[in-house]
Amino acid sequence: MKIQPGKKGLIINLLSLVVFALLWQLLVILARKDSFNIPFIRLRDIPTPVETWVALVGSMFIQLHGPGFTYGIVNHVYASLQRVIEGGIIAFIVGVPVGIGVGYSKLIGNLFNPLIEIVRNMPPMAWIPLSIFIFVSGGSIFIVFIGVIFPIILNTVQGVKSTDPRLIDAARTLGASESMIVKKVIIPSAFPSIMTGLRIGLGVGWMAIVAAEMVIRSPVGLGYFIWNMGDLGRYSEMVAGMIVIGVIGYIMNISILLLQRRFIKWGA
Amino acid sequence: MGRLIINSVSKKFNNFLALEDVNFEVADGEFVCLLGPSGCGKTTVLRLAAGLEKPDDGFLCLDGKKISGVNKECGFVFQEYALFPWRTVKENIEFGPQVKGKTSLECERISKHYIDLVGLSGFENHYPDELSGGMKQRVGIARAYANDPKLLLMDEPFGALDAQTRNLMQSELLRIWEKEHISVLFVTHSVDEAVYLGDKVVIMSARPGKVKEIFDVKLARPRIRTGPEANIIRDRVLKSLVSEIKIASKPGQ
Repeated sequence: MKIQPGKKGLIINLLSLVVFALLWQLLVILARKDSFNIPFIRLRDIPTPVETWVALVGSMFIQLHGPGFTYGIVNHVYASLQRVIEGGIIAFIVGVPVGIGVGYSKLIGNLFNPLIEIVRNMPPMAWIPLSIFIFVSGGSIFIVFIGVIFPIILNTVQGVKSTDPRLIDAARTLGASESMIVKKVIIPSAFPSIMTGLRIGLGVGWMAIVAAEMVIRSPVGLGYFIWNMGDLGRYSEMVAGMIVIGVIGYIMNISILLLQRRFIKWGA
Repeated sequence: MGRLIINSVSKKFNNFLALEDVNFEVADGEFVCLLGPSGCGKTTVLRLAAGLEKPDDGFLCLDGKKISGVNKECGFVFQEYALFPWRTVKENIEFGPQVKGKTSLECERISKHYIDLVGLSGFENHYPDELSGGMKQRVGIARAYANDPKLLLMDEPFGALDAQTRNLMQSELLRIWEKEHISVLFVTHSVDEAVYLGDKVVIMSARPGKVKEIFDVKLARPRIRTGPEANIIRDRVLKSLVSEIKIASKPGQ
């Protein structure tokens, strides 16, 4: 994936956003003047980009103008990010060793594969009711964990399995024991895949946390904020919250890519 | 020391007989080239000598010790280099000493010695991706030597190089071999290469892989590639090989 599109690329990138915002503004304004309409869609009720921007700036920090505004968006972002990072770290600590075991050992693979294949097909959202029921607190961290761990496991397994067998032979003839081979050949070779797993996993986790916060109704978190704003009829704030989710997800993805590039100096 | 004996070795893969009753020897300090049509089991012989495969029949010994399990007294040089891409030149060469538990100071000394020997000074901190094919194989050779082997096993190490680099690397290999004088078993499918490098050329036949003929190449070193004696030997080797290639390239079986 390209991170730096170059100056020209950047302008074109921004252009698509600007055109989209203009179109959005235009459609909503036309709808409000009754000169344009799409059947079955209440176009006029959608906040315009300008209204969304104003709402975003206005609710960024704690402000005391009415119910539902206990926290600013910054606090909600912080709370959600914290849950994603905590759930992500636990998933990483559990998922990487499981992935290495499953990828390297036939026995462990046969043992875990049926379980992994069934559980990974249960979407994080499906775990929400159970997690409300069994977790006194931290249920949403568990939802993130479920979302993050499977991409990590699957990518780790794939990375381990695609280790060049000649590298393993080379290490063997150089005197490496099995544990050395895992440590010095398999893990470094699988590292880029592991990072990809983490990146995809955190993307899933970020989506899962928003859903979890909507249902679990923790008093702070972006999911909660959006839902609450919708309840209160503050649609501009609601849409502002949605956009923040997208932007943060994008930043997370890019950060891990940059981190990966920093650690992996050898091209691959 | 470094005397490899291959005694009545047979090897099957599933139901395919890859090697049948292979017998030959690499004497101490000798450079032996193994030549044959593709698919005749040359690489299998090397893998058996490295202990990466087990023979179904017969045995191999190095200095009187039967090879069972990975043979840690040999160095293996692979055709496609098989360097660790996440390790620099220096770190690749230090892999063997490191896993054998040498101190970092010793590793440093060893890697420096072999980096100098193969002519890679100045490239210590490059990653394999940043090197040409010839340089990569220099690293491969240094990495194998750094483990202080008694026997060097080379699997078409210059097969992926262009003709010029290949010639240069052959001379370089001889220079290193003359300095460090350990036994070498060198697999190739090039007659020129075998006759230029080897003290002995072992011709293998295919399906199943057997030793067909062994030629002693008693040419003084440094050798002249196009010398008249070399041409005579090359001609004999080629004749022995051609009939094999005809058989091996028949379809079926």
